[in-house]
Amino acid sequence: MRYLHLLTVLFTVPFFSVTSAQGIKDTTIHLSPVEIHDSIVKDKPFLIKTIRNEEIQKGAVRDIGDYLRSIPNVSGVRKGGAGIDPVVRGFKFSQLSVNVGGGLKVENGCPNRMDPVTSHVEAEDIESIEVLKGPFALKYGPSFGGIINLRTENPHPFEKFEVHANAMYGFETNWNGQKEHLSVLGRNYGNYTSGKIEGKDTTFNTSFRKHNYTAKIGFSPTKNQSIIVSYDEIHGRDVLYPALPMDEKSDDTRMMSVDYHLRHMPGKLKTLDIKIYQSDVNHNMDNSLRATWATKQMVSIVNAVNTGGRAEFGMQFSKFLITTGLDVENIYKDGTRTMTMQMMGTTSTKRSNLWKAANIQNAGFFGECKTTFSSIELLGAIRVDFNNADSKDTLKVISGGISYFDKTNSKFTNFSASAGITKKFSKKMKLSLALGRGTRSPNMLERFIKLMAVGYDNYDYLGNPQLKPETNYEADLTLTYSGSKTGSAYINGFYSNVHDYIYSTMLPSTLIKPQTAGVLGVKQFVNVDYVTFMGFEFGYTSPADLKFGGSTIGSFTYGRIPEVTKYLITGTQVTGETIIKDDALSEIPPFESTLNVFYKMVKGKLVPQLSIRAVADQHHVSQAFYEQDTPGFGLINFTVKYTVNKNMKVTAGINNILDKAYYEHLNRKIIGSTGNLYEPGRSFFVNLFLNI
Amino acid sequence: MAIAVVIVLFLAGCKKKSDDTPIPDTGHIAFKFTHLVDGVPLHQDTFCYVNAAGNHFEIDQLMYFISDVKLHKSDGSIQLIDDWKDIDYVDVNIPSTLMWDVFDPIPIGTYDSISFTFGISEAKNKSFMFVNPPEVNMMWPDVLGGGYHYMMMNGKWIDTLSIPQPFNFHLGIGQLYKHNVIEIDSIYAFVQNYFFVKLPSSAFTIEKDKTRQIEIIMNIDSWFKTPHIYDHNYWGGAIMQNQPAMQIVKENGFDVFTTGLIQ
Repeated sequence: MRYLHLLTVLFTVPFFSVTSAQGIKDTTIHLSPVEIHDSIVKDKPFLIKTIRNEEIQKGAVRDIGDYLRSIPNVSGVRKGGAGIDPVVRGFKFSQLSVNVGGGLKVENGCPNRMDPVTSHVEAEDIESIEVLKGPFALKYGPSFGGIINLRTENPHPFEKFEVHANAMYGFETNWNGQKEHLSVLGRNYGNYTSGKIEGKDTTFNTSFRKHNYTAKIGFSPTKNQSIIVSYDEIHGRDVLYPALPMDEKSDDTRMMSVDYHLRHMPGKLKTLDIKIYQSDVNHNMDNSLRATWATKQMVSIVNAVNTGGRAEFGMQFSKFLITTGLDVENIYKDGTRTMTMQMMGTTSTKRSNLWKAANIQNAGFFGECKTTFSSIELLGAIRVDFNNADSKDTLKVISGGISYFDKTNSKFTNFSASAGITKKFSKKMKLSLALGRGTRSPNMLERFIKLMAVGYDNYDYLGNPQLKPETNYEADLTLTYSGSKTGSAYINGFYSNVHDYIYSTMLPSTLIKPQTAGVLGVKQFVNVDYVTFMGFEFGYTSPADLKFGGSTIGSFTYGRIPEVTKYLITGTQVTGETIIKDDALSEIPPFESTLNVFYKMVKGKLVPQLSIRAVADQHHVSQAFYEQDTPGFGLINFTVKYTVNKNMKVTAGINNILDKAYYEHLNRKIIGSTGNLYEPGRSFFVNLFLNI
Repeated sequence: MAIAVVIVLFLAGCKKKSDDTPIPDTGHIAFKFTHLVDGVPLHQDTFCYVNAAGNHFEIDQLMYFISDVKLHKSDGSIQLIDDWKDIDYVDVNIPSTLMWDVFDPIPIGTYDSISFTFGISEAKNKSFMFVNPPEVNMMWPDVLGGGYHYMMMNGKWIDTLSIPQPFNFHLGIGQLYKHNVIEIDSIYAFVQNYFFVKLPSSAFTIEKDKTRQIEIIMNIDSWFKTPHIYDHNYWGGAIMQNQPAMQIVKENGFDVFTTGLIQ
């Protein structure tokens, strides 16, 4: 260990973090973070959106899922004040792959997805967010509808011993939300109030408390090698979800990883990256804060562990850049539900499994090749996944010789591939075409969940251990123009055909009865023939050196299923069914567009920005799911950033200046009603950043 | 190479599947539930009835389950109604429960009779089977056998001192108590009190794509008179832990149901 050097240590002590270093021969210069405005198209033939933390810090970010909704064709499912679940081009949940810190994966604990992966990471720990749309990037794990890479801050090398600290304090009205970030982050948000609904302020039960601790240690055995050990804990308490039957009583998540990086190798092998990790989620939810608790108590406790790793080799053979490697993950999930009912002076208790020691193992091998011929860039990628799932379930649902839930083991070999071509017509204009096939195996919920209301509709869901993988065949066409004086613009269109789409069908009540109060019956996940998605997006960004500039984005997605069964409901019972042709897929966001305008003052230290967002009505709604139309709305937000000096920065602003009462199309209904879960009304915020 | 593979796979992904399955000729059936006392529609919350034991009484609430409805043909074949629902809840205070539009498609033809289980069979009557009101309110305590009430008929009668007394004429799983000590710890066995009903004069036909509506009448007065005279003054107001009383109710149930209009 002759060359071992301590790079950075972040101590998780209250109100202070210390960074120390000992001599490293090479000098490393740390540049200030750079703002990148809408750098949509890089040297890949498909869309990539990268956002740096500087951009994120401009606003009042309570939740990464909330922030992601500002990206074109990215929306989110809101069920409460936190934990907004991202949706990219209509793809959601496990159709998206969300990676933390370069490959760490988290299996959410909650069957209702109170805790999507994005909720297990704090915005203040993020260095950048990368959204890759489509099934084209295959080196980050099985890719189906898109990938979200949450890149967390890593220790930096220093020439000599130095002490560094960074701190942040933020406050937001309306929620009375405040957050403090040193190396310990704490957040405490109250209920928020929407804009006036029929002239009245309406407060929603959306309060939450969260805190997290992060520690990272880096070593540099040689000047071209580094090892980083990371440990992160995030804890949620009393996180309320008015659109779900229960609230999150507690969520305790640990994430641990070790990264090894090798750079600047002579010969064909240029780089090597290895990561091993484990994430462990303990999720506890109940209805103790609901009126129903007096007569019916529901408590669910889930443990989800994801253990895995990946190795990636970067090579160069002449003009060919090749990336190859493998990744593995083992997901374990176990959970119980306890129901207690008070009736006629007696108490009855039932304990059942949500998951019973369920396991999914996935091992994937990937390869990516990139080359350039004159004005043409080519990119090809392939991936093979070996997926195996099993569970200790003892439930059997067999009727009429048909097995609905019995054999729990399944094995799949999934093949994914993508190819892209970019033609440069000039230095400023290029056209890209990407074709891809991405296959994903069913997830824990779709395979093994037992009787929880986890869908958009009002049914309990039963897993299906014999589900087949679903496959996305997608084509993307992107035209890009970029000029130093004119700014950059792009327009993209996509078409996606998903085979063996994982949908749901209702099971008769004679076969199985629901366990959740207020639901209509039980649905089971099944594969349907195919569905289609299509859409477009566009964007324009003015040159970065302009004093007065701005950007605009717009996006639209359309999803349809050619044939689907609609269940007819009388009162609270299903009384029939009918076939719907060409129905809309549920939870597809409407067309929307955003215009941002900024003006740089005081040599660029003071930058006010006005943002106008317009969202259209959504009338293309699922009849089968009894999805409601949603009205369009317009929003005006204002932010200002003032860089006091290199160590201090203040951002402030007003969200929803007009105090508009509105709700996004993807916001779930208030549980047990048809009432909408509105977005927050007008709020003022201020954030103070210190960086020493 | 990768490009070629992707294009081939992409094109392969654009196939469309089709499935044509012949649909048999069927019609539908619906049950209408009517409640009579001495041949007259039930009037709740008024002391206007006298039972065979001479008790003046009123009915305030009436809720019950029927299950496993069977349609019998002359050739001995049976059409069991269980595609989507095999247990039906009826509540005189909830109008929507007085009509059951059966989901199952019924093969066309002539049917001789209808039968069903009053209550819920032992195999199906499990606690937490229903979690939603109103069915959940029929829960039968686990310590008394669990599952759900077959019937709750709540009302009042005028006792021997001319004082109105409430009665809970409930039927469900009965208990046998050691030495007739009515305590939970004394229970040594449970008794299933559900019973089978064959509706008299319930022949009907099903025509293609048409719905046959059949009226099922509960003659409430019959619970109190045949074959046993049921006297509230003798049995008292609560019988959930009184198996002899529930045995009489069970045995009196054989002729409670009749067939009304078939249209």
